[in-house]
Amino acid sequence: MRDWLRRIAACAAIAFSSLAAAQAEPLDVVATFSIIGDFAAEVGGDRIRLKVLVGPDSDTHVHEPRPADAIALAGADVVLTNGLEFEGFLTRLIAANGTDAAVATLTDGVETMEEPGGGHYHYIDGKAVFHAGAHDPHAWQSVPNAKVYVQNIAAAFCAADAEGCAAYQANAARYAGELDALDTEIRSAVAALPTDRRTVVVAHNAFRYFEAAYGVHFLSPQGVSTESEATAADVAGLIREIRDRKAAAIFAENISDTRLLEQIAREAGLPLAGTLYSDALSSPDGPAPDYIAMMRHNASAIAAALAAR
Amino acid sequence: MLRHLAGASALALVLAGAAFAQDHDHDHEDVTLYRVFVGDHEKAQVTAFDLSEPDHRWTFPTTGQVKLFPVAGGAVVAAVQSDADTVQFIRSGISFHDHGDHRDIEVGDPAAIDASLTGPRPFHLVDHDGKVVLNYDQGGYAEILDGHALAEGKVEPVRFPQARAHHGFVAPLGDSWLSTIASDEKVEGDASVPRLGLQAFDAEGKPAGDLASCTAIHGEAFSGAYLAAGCKEGVLTVKAGANGPEYRLLPYPADLPQGVTTGTLLGSTGIQVFLGNYGPDGLVVIDPVDEPHYRYIKLPFRRVDFALDPAKPSTGYVLTEDGSLHRIDLLKAEIAASAKVTEPYSMDGHWNDPRPRLALAGDEIVITDPNAGLVRRIATEDLSERGTVPVEGKPYNIAVTGGSGVTH
Repeated sequence: MRDWLRRIAACAAIAFSSLAAAQAEPLDVVATFSIIGDFAAEVGGDRIRLKVLVGPDSDTHVHEPRPADAIALAGADVVLTNGLEFEGFLTRLIAANGTDAAVATLTDGVETMEEPGGGHYHYIDGKAVFHAGAHDPHAWQSVPNAKVYVQNIAAAFCAADAEGCAAYQANAARYAGELDALDTEIRSAVAALPTDRRTVVVAHNAFRYFEAAYGVHFLSPQGVSTESEATAADVAGLIREIRDRKAAAIFAENISDTRLLEQIAREAGLPLAGTLYSDALSSPDGPAPDYIAMMRHNASAIAAALAAR
Repeated sequence: MLRHLAGASALALVLAGAAFAQDHDHDHEDVTLYRVFVGDHEKAQVTAFDLSEPDHRWTFPTTGQVKLFPVAGGAVVAAVQSDADTVQFIRSGISFHDHGDHRDIEVGDPAAIDASLTGPRPFHLVDHDGKVVLNYDQGGYAEILDGHALAEGKVEPVRFPQARAHHGFVAPLGDSWLSTIASDEKVEGDASVPRLGLQAFDAEGKPAGDLASCTAIHGEAFSGAYLAAGCKEGVLTVKAGANGPEYRLLPYPADLPQGVTTGTLLGSTGIQVFLGNYGPDGLVVIDPVDEPHYRYIKLPFRRVDFALDPAKPSTGYVLTEDGSLHRIDLLKAEIAASAKVTEPYSMDGHWNDPRPRLALAGDEIVITDPNAGLVRRIATEDLSERGTVPVEGKPYNIAVTGGSGVTH
């Protein structure tokens, strides 16, 4: 009888320690770029082991997948993607080595905007590179959309790790509160601006969701290359638009070549007003190491440039 | 003459399913077609056949023995004939038109392009960024063709001058042209001219940067943002930067076998990684960004030929002289599977003796077997033989064009 009890106790101890070990093993999560990596870290906390494929200050559009990316994808439990054809490399990467992971598209449920002209341009090494897509992928530039991303992440984590679901949902709820406060802060900052000073210029057309949410208008060159024959005419057209719409500031972007912006700034007689963070966070020691800091930095920079003179 | 598939009922096609997809019109069809081009070892000719229906075949006379390269997105096959100072071109008869969410395939008969290139010993061919470049090893120049024009049958070369004739290559990278550079030291007889490295030029051949040292540079491939080439001291990698090409030499580490180098590189199309030869019985996986940059794969016998799988970018195949085909996992840098597919072919003897060559055709590896007069069809899934295609003579160099697309 005592042996039998000892055996049960031993089995229970083994089962308990196995369970504890299972609980201790974090969820392997791959996030395609830094902004959704930050969302994942907020929701997952210490229950996930996070790998971000495209890091700070890097352009996801031109990312060339590496062997380490393929290995991470193959070992992932959950892969978080933006979708809307933002991560052009992902299909190739999955083809390289496959993945059994659940692939979550974080823009599911977002009211997306169609992309005028079927795409937008990035400026890399002085050249315009077209990013084709039927829908504008930069949905995170509106904080209410970011909350949808966070809900989708919590759902993906819950599906992969039911035991941790309560923790994920609690983290998501806490973070959603912080996002609500951020949203209010940005609206207040923009509301304080003169109504005739609400237009700025950026290199690539990544702020249309910000524009729709907060009412700041963004102009951007479409396909203008500093190397191309069309430069003079296209830049002249943009300069006219800058003057017509009384654009008050020109911003560089952390992922874009600044040469074109410097040319436009010279010709428009406007100074470069700073750097906005569009498709990637900054490095940890920069002004936008996480999403909330990024949006706060962008809103502050825009508000400072457009404030009444 | 190209014609739409709808009018080409006699062509060998694989019609996979009646409808392409539910969200497409029901008269769209999903078509997969691979066309195989085989150069004979002894007779100056190329045989082409459709893999799914090998009786659909064509023969193209050439001037000499050919090395075959699919170029211009597979619309054309270049037949480089180094010993005959000639490059001929064959329109593959298969072309694709990208529509974002799908691509259309257009199929017709293959046809030789009347115009050809001639010059002293054309050898390395580079097909990158819409340009097809032939280096003339004894000419002191390269010739550049526009890939799009070539796909339309136009052979209109632009000459790129080099300071000295040598066995090298010229390749476009960003706004620059990169050319191998030869030493100006005197050589005796047929000795090859020493090669020093790589340098950037403008399109007219004027220097646009300093020499990047890469002793005995040989073998070039593109993958992702990088061009890589083998050197005596390591692998030279180059990528386009805001201020011109950015070079980085990756020295061979001490844990690789010593006294050998890489000189033939293949670049993966899906992930940024290269597979190179390394000594007669080795391969090396080269990661241009992350460490370790080199991972060595020891082969059980000397290597005959190797190829990468464009459909599974982390997979390669290598045939060894015992007649075994090995599947290579580039991510693990190891042999994942092996199977006997031909009789042994010794690597002793002349480098150009008739030995098998490999190419990928979707989910098959096609392998020439010169002594058997066959092209063997091997399944990528399990390396089993799916069938053989008899080819007259001694089938040797091989190239494949085609793929999957939609017809409307």
